[in-house]
Amino acid sequence: MNARDFSPEVREALQRLILSLADTKRLLGIRYSDWLLGAPSIESGIATASMSQDEWGHARLLYAMLKDFGVDPVEVEHSRPPAEYCSASCLDEPFADWAAVVAGIVVVDGTLSLALEGFASGTYDAARRRIPKMLAEEAFHRDFGQAWMRRISEGSEEGRQLLAAAVESMLSDVVTCLLPGDDEAELLAGAGVTGQPGDARARLARRLAEPLAALGMVPAADLPLPGDWVASRRRPTGEPAADAVERARGDRNRALFVE
Amino acid sequence: MAELSAGLPLHVASHMSGGRDLWSEPMPERPDDPEAAVWRALGEVLDPELPVSVTDLGLIYGVRVDGERVQVRLTFTATACPCMEFIEEDVRDRLLAEPWIAAVEIEQVWDPPWTSERISPAGRRALRGAGVSA
Repeated sequence: MNARDFSPEVREALQRLILSLADTKRLLGIRYSDWLLGAPSIESGIATASMSQDEWGHARLLYAMLKDFGVDPVEVEHSRPPAEYCSASCLDEPFADWAAVVAGIVVVDGTLSLALEGFASGTYDAARRRIPKMLAEEAFHRDFGQAWMRRISEGSEEGRQLLAAAVESMLSDVVTCLLPGDDEAELLAGAGVTGQPGDARARLARRLAEPLAALGMVPAADLPLPGDWVASRRRPTGEPAADAVERARGDRNRALFVE
Repeated sequence: MAELSAGLPLHVASHMSGGRDLWSEPMPERPDDPEAAVWRALGEVLDPELPVSVTDLGLIYGVRVDGERVQVRLTFTATACPCMEFIEEDVRDRLLAEPWIAAVEIEQVWDPPWTSERISPAGRRALRGAGVSA
């Protein structure tokens, strides 16, 4: 099915979900790229460059899907103010340290993949055609993040505490933003566009159980929406830092655009 | 022929945008089997970074000829391939060089996802010759 085949309510919810996934991937790419230099090893820094590239490739494909909804992807990518971004709020500022980068790969990127997997058996053709390629690329992110998570978990107590704090600060934010248990998610699942949000959360809890256990953490069973939740942006109030949005939009390169 | 870069093998040094310095002369008339001719022409379009054709890389998922219009279903090795624009331009230019082709429509496709399994034996040989394992 195409976007026009869904009811107006489903179409609106689907458009918001796609924008939330695209914006989160765009911001995640920026946050990875912040660590191209300064990672614990040169090789790990270079890995963030590759992951940044993938995130931006995925964001580009997701933004392009908005054409089906009568939205101009170029306008969405290059002209919105920060207050209109729908990215997970844990990406508003740069990752504070390498432990936060690792938490970002496992928790934020991992949850994004789960959200994308939700389309796999759904009825929305445009997503089903594009997402397998994205998930194939994400497999490398997952291996890299989990290897680093094991390494830190088996290291110093200080490292474990940094990682646990980073995971704690991101987990509820991305789960509520990307795998919400709200009416819209139920609407999309009911229309066959995505899987049941509860199933996706359960899969996430299973995937994170082992790495979180190594940090002495247990995935929360129930994550309510935050009090300052803004339904139209699928995130709490606030916005990404202005310099990140300038980079996302390509503000300084407008005279050089080739697309 | 392009000016060669010292120290590089001929097939790498002569690799201009899309391999266009190696493209055949256009056919003066519409061939009996235009679809096969399109595949042959696309076989001359090289990846911008490697001396291997887009057909041997397995990037072409389908070709359809409808009168003077050609539709090409094209994928890329990665969603963030930095050469998308170049490849599309080279494909379009090579096909439009044929006088019997008036329009080229390129559809980006991602299903099934490209993997290195799609590289042909000839493509693997070309990549090995350039020092790239596949």
